[in-house]
Amino acid sequence: MKLRKTVLNGIVADNPVFIQMLGMCPTLAVTTSAVNGIAMGLATTAVLLGSNTVISALKNFIPSKIRIPAFIVVIATFVTIVGLMMKAFLPALDKALGLFIPLIVVNCIILGRAESYASKNSVVNSIADGAGMGIGFTVALFILGAIREIIGAGTLFGTAVFGAAYEPALIMILPPGAFLILGLLLALFNWISMKKARGENR
Amino acid sequence: MKEITKLAIILLIITSVAAAGLGYVNGITEGPIAEQLRLADIEARKQVLPEAEDFQQLDIESPDDYKIVSEVFKGTVGENKTGYTFKTVPSGYGGTIEVMVGISSEGVVTGVSIGNHTETPGLGAKAANDDYKGQYTGKTSDMEVTVIKAGAPSDNEVVAISGATITSRAVTDGVNEAIRYFNEKLR
Repeated sequence: MKLRKTVLNGIVADNPVFIQMLGMCPTLAVTTSAVNGIAMGLATTAVLLGSNTVISALKNFIPSKIRIPAFIVVIATFVTIVGLMMKAFLPALDKALGLFIPLIVVNCIILGRAESYASKNSVVNSIADGAGMGIGFTVALFILGAIREIIGAGTLFGTAVFGAAYEPALIMILPPGAFLILGLLLALFNWISMKKARGENR
Repeated sequence: MKEITKLAIILLIITSVAAAGLGYVNGITEGPIAEQLRLADIEARKQVLPEAEDFQQLDIESPDDYKIVSEVFKGTVGENKTGYTFKTVPSGYGGTIEVMVGISSEGVVTGVSIGNHTETPGLGAKAANDDYKGQYTGKTSDMEVTVIKAGAPSDNEVVAISGATITSRAVTDGVNEAIRYFNEKLR
């Protein structure tokens, strides 16, 4: 029961992108299409699960003075493993995302969860936290990627959604589009949560 | 034991375990990765020179004059040569782009394929789509290919990918270098 709450927490109440504003670099950079968003989210989730597990298992072994370099070594190891596995067994995905995989090392969601959750909680709870945060990140990247792809290229998952007459708004694929859509989505999420809070006060 | 020694030893243990783990994974994936690259190259050669059945690698003559030409293969059917494939590595917007070019013995471009690259997804990366790279097919080696931004292309022109002129120029450079090598060394 508590585990389910931990997972849900990462997806909705504490969503890494929309609420915590973490991991903005990959969020803005890779979401040019829905597929890229999902793949980046899943790769990050895999690293997050691995690093949360190992770091919470080692929490009594790692002295607090050297915890940051120790965390980074663990995270970088998992990122490299994911990168090599993708190159070897999923070459098509690697072609699309290869550039961004090494960037997962500096994704602050992963270091953030290691520091604020995995280093203080049990292994099982940390796995649940990693799953929740990972899924939350994936969902956010998918939403952003899907909107940008639909408006900017007129397609979703590569299939055309509008007629041939639709002239794609190129700016949505370019970096400014990422900021525009992210800003609008943040406004929407804040509006919803404010409305909710007001409703509860009454 | 001094604290600093203890910290150093703990960090050493962590990094050693990480290194051992990575070495193990690298051992597993090394073969498949090399195999993927080899398959991708074979696939690309077949794609750009569909007539050929066998490919033989040739040495590049005076490589200093053709800096971006990295591999040349001769394509044959039985005893007859049908053409050549060239792997060129021009610089695009985000780094080098691997461009595989096929040229028939008569000097007609038979196809272009884009290998590893780091162009912007959604923009320059579209160079790998047939819509764009198909434009090179049928160009002849007696003229340099040039890039135009819009309008109807004439015989030796291709229309750039919208928003990715640099990438389009880079791919065109690769094709032109292959044509130059063909004209100067293989004709």
